[in-house]
Amino acid sequence: MKNEITLQTRREFLRRTVLGSALSWTVPAFLADTFSALQAQAADSAIQTTTGKDATILVVLQMAGGNDGINTVVPYANDFYHKARPKIGLKPDEVLKLNGEIGLHGAMKGFKELYDAGQLSVIQGVGYPNPNRSHFRSTEIWQTASDSNKVEKNGWIGRYFDNACAGADTTVGVTIGNQLPEAFFAAKPKGIVFNNPQNYRFMANGNATEESYKKLNELEMSSPLPDDNSGGSIAMLPAGMPMTGGRAVDFITRTALDAQHSSEEVRAIAAKVRNIAVYPPSQLGNSLKMVAKLIGGGLATRVYYVSQGGYDTHTNQVASQQRLLGDLAESVKSFTDDLKAQGNMGRVLVMTFSEFGRRVTENANGGTDHGAAAPMFIVGDKMKSGLLGKYPSLAPQDLYQGDIKYNVDFRSVYASVLENWLKTKSAPILGKQFTPLPVV
Amino acid sequence: MLKPLAPDDWNYTKAAHLLNRAGFGGPPSDIQKLADLGLEQAVSRLLDYEKISDPAKNPDWAKPNPDEVRKYRETVRTGTPVEKKQAQREQRQLYQRRMTELRGWWLQRMAAGPRPFQEKMVLFWHGHFATSVDKVKNPYYMWRQNELFRRLATGNWRQLLLDAGKDPAMLVWLDQAQSRRQHANENFAREVMELFTLGQGNYTEKDVTEAARALTGWSLDPKTEQYIYRPRFHDDTDKTIFGQTGNFDGDDFIGMIMARPQSARFITAKIWNYFAGQMPSEELNTQLAAAFRANGNNFKPFLRVLFRSQEFYGDDIIRNQVKSPVQWLVSSVRMLENQLPPPLVSWGMLRQLGQDLFAPPNVKGWDGGITWISTNTLLTRYNDAQSLVEGTLPPLTAGDYAKQPGNAGGKRQMRAMKALKRVRLGGMNVEKVLTPGERDDKGTIVAALEMRLFQTSLNADQEQTLREFLEAKTKLTDADIITATRLMMSTPEFQVT
Repeated sequence: MKNEITLQTRREFLRRTVLGSALSWTVPAFLADTFSALQAQAADSAIQTTTGKDATILVVLQMAGGNDGINTVVPYANDFYHKARPKIGLKPDEVLKLNGEIGLHGAMKGFKELYDAGQLSVIQGVGYPNPNRSHFRSTEIWQTASDSNKVEKNGWIGRYFDNACAGADTTVGVTIGNQLPEAFFAAKPKGIVFNNPQNYRFMANGNATEESYKKLNELEMSSPLPDDNSGGSIAMLPAGMPMTGGRAVDFITRTALDAQHSSEEVRAIAAKVRNIAVYPPSQLGNSLKMVAKLIGGGLATRVYYVSQGGYDTHTNQVASQQRLLGDLAESVKSFTDDLKAQGNMGRVLVMTFSEFGRRVTENANGGTDHGAAAPMFIVGDKMKSGLLGKYPSLAPQDLYQGDIKYNVDFRSVYASVLENWLKTKSAPILGKQFTPLPVV
Repeated sequence: MLKPLAPDDWNYTKAAHLLNRAGFGGPPSDIQKLADLGLEQAVSRLLDYEKISDPAKNPDWAKPNPDEVRKYRETVRTGTPVEKKQAQREQRQLYQRRMTELRGWWLQRMAAGPRPFQEKMVLFWHGHFATSVDKVKNPYYMWRQNELFRRLATGNWRQLLLDAGKDPAMLVWLDQAQSRRQHANENFAREVMELFTLGQGNYTEKDVTEAARALTGWSLDPKTEQYIYRPRFHDDTDKTIFGQTGNFDGDDFIGMIMARPQSARFITAKIWNYFAGQMPSEELNTQLAAAFRANGNNFKPFLRVLFRSQEFYGDDIIRNQVKSPVQWLVSSVRMLENQLPPPLVSWGMLRQLGQDLFAPPNVKGWDGGITWISTNTLLTRYNDAQSLVEGTLPPLTAGDYAKQPGNAGGKRQMRAMKALKRVRLGGMNVEKVLTPGERDDKGTIVAALEMRLFQTSLNADQEQTLREFLEAKTKLTDADIITATRLMMSTPEFQVT
């Protein structure tokens, strides 16, 4: 009864406001607890304007190969853990303790510092129903945010661009590397890829050559692109689907335009900004170094994508994981140091993911085989830090085919990032409404 | 069944398409020869490569080196820390040199060898059984696998799987060499079904663990650098695979895969995608698999049917495939009747373009298709085109060195830059590409270059841009024609074939 009266009152109120004149009766009641929340939602449902100076930024960090989450966020006090991993298990003095039971891998000093400063959240036991143990399929599931038994042709970041960033410049998405990740595949592809800004340009031996290049690459496409690019969609070939109409050259033409238009801006910014922090001389270190420059220079980007490979540790895991996690923690720590020095720490959120964790029991080669759930890390200034969720049980009777069971669906983390950080509705992007994990 | 192309429908355009896809393209004279042969003879010329002698020599280290291996292992085991470190460094450098040589050796076979179709198949199998030196380390193993793909390039499917599975490179790459009955390693068992023969959804997790047990015993003797069967490693008990129970071994398991119709569907779809540039429809895939099985799961007769089919010459197939970086490089060199850049430079280009031979990104191989193209790789292609025609160094090779850890501006970089400056690429020879008559007129220059580079015309606006570029030169030099060629290669149209 009381509730009804409140709603009535709110509607009355809305009807008398500017905002209400557009929304009045059509606003679903559940959207808004208070007027200000409603206003925020309404504003977000409009196309997001991107500015390089104040918008929030998401950095997605892929740990490719399937990181062994159990030796990353270590249940060092758990007997089942040591029983399952007599050779590669970490002793209590080899971890950076977060509490009496859980510790970070000893190589992750940079993450421990962030954790202590309230700038790291560790989401435990993240996965999805019916986990797939194929690298490629599971990566695809994380990249497209699909159900395990469905193939989705576009990526979740691509769908964010489609839904919320129409009209934005192509630099709204930036991948440091060589190839566009599947997460960026979209109906209207957006986002640029480069690894070395100095060479991110057409090198011409004179003005006439440069002018001709521009004209040759500005021309009409062989057949006009349909609006949703249903033809040469980038999602089609890798997903193994037949290409129905549309020609490969049209996709290349579009990419050529993006390259031409973004080249100057990227180079100018990269040349202008200096890094203050010192990064490890690794690929990940170099990538984050570049991202820090672009953020510092105000490139109008909402999502950056970087990756680190090598986590497929079937054999001799101890040494390689030590190196990889050390590089990860140190690179991310340097990145946050740079952002703090720039005054941008509050605008940036780093989210890590890996396609799966690994089997609880070690194998005979000092390694681990493909598994299921694993932790995710979120780094930033404005989120709920600490240990989130519950560590999945390692008791043999609680395992499924030798793997820990997930507690948190990764899409509820995506939902939280989309709604609370990128400020857009998550349901149209993720296909349904996942309850945002209260992390961001 | 696939519909055969009528002999009367054979023409220059189709001959060019065949040479581009079943080989690495070529200059107009090569295309004309195929066009003159007629469909059947043209296909035979490419496919029946055993009739053409292949004089290329193998690298002199391309054989088992048990002495070298023994010496190295001894030093690492018994040497002082200093000796050990030095031995490791020396081996690393030796292996790097050999890999550079191997990459150059293979590219040379593609660009100038007498059997382009065989090399095109080797490239397919390399992408299919995608094995990387990053883990395998040993260049002899990488060469050996490459040679295996060449030997069985168009042979029998079952034979190829067995031989590739028991080859040292694969045994190391997917950890089969280390698998023991006490704890079977699942890596090869999984990928052989998921990526090599059946595809996702056509086997269960249980099949993976059971097949891994069947495969135990397949191993590698590092002393002789050869495959060895180790009965002590083999799990000599019953396994249940695809619902059948028995005391299976690895050969049985491969046979059981072969018995599944999906194994023909899977590989023929992938081969169609490789040659036609897109995945087949369900219906076409059924026809392809039927043709493959009708030919006893032998690739050669199946491919003969494919290359003589109407389907392969469809309008949606011709000039609708994104060139892979290797295709881009090798066919550019062949079309321009040019030399390949030196191995180190070719390698740098291919790596930057996303196709580092002998080092695919993972066991799935290269995704291919439009994923070859990003803003980054497209600009790199445009700039590498300049290097190819002008004979200058690609900017990205030098940049590469600067990106090495701790290398920027340092002595090592300076040395590398100096070494690179001495490198000379061939560059384009205008006299080879244009007859004096063609060179006389700016309009015919553009037309002749178009036929050579695209085997078709660009659109009218692009042609006009190119003519205007040439018109603006008061005295037309070779350098101007070379720049015009580079401009034509710096178009979206040049990236497809």
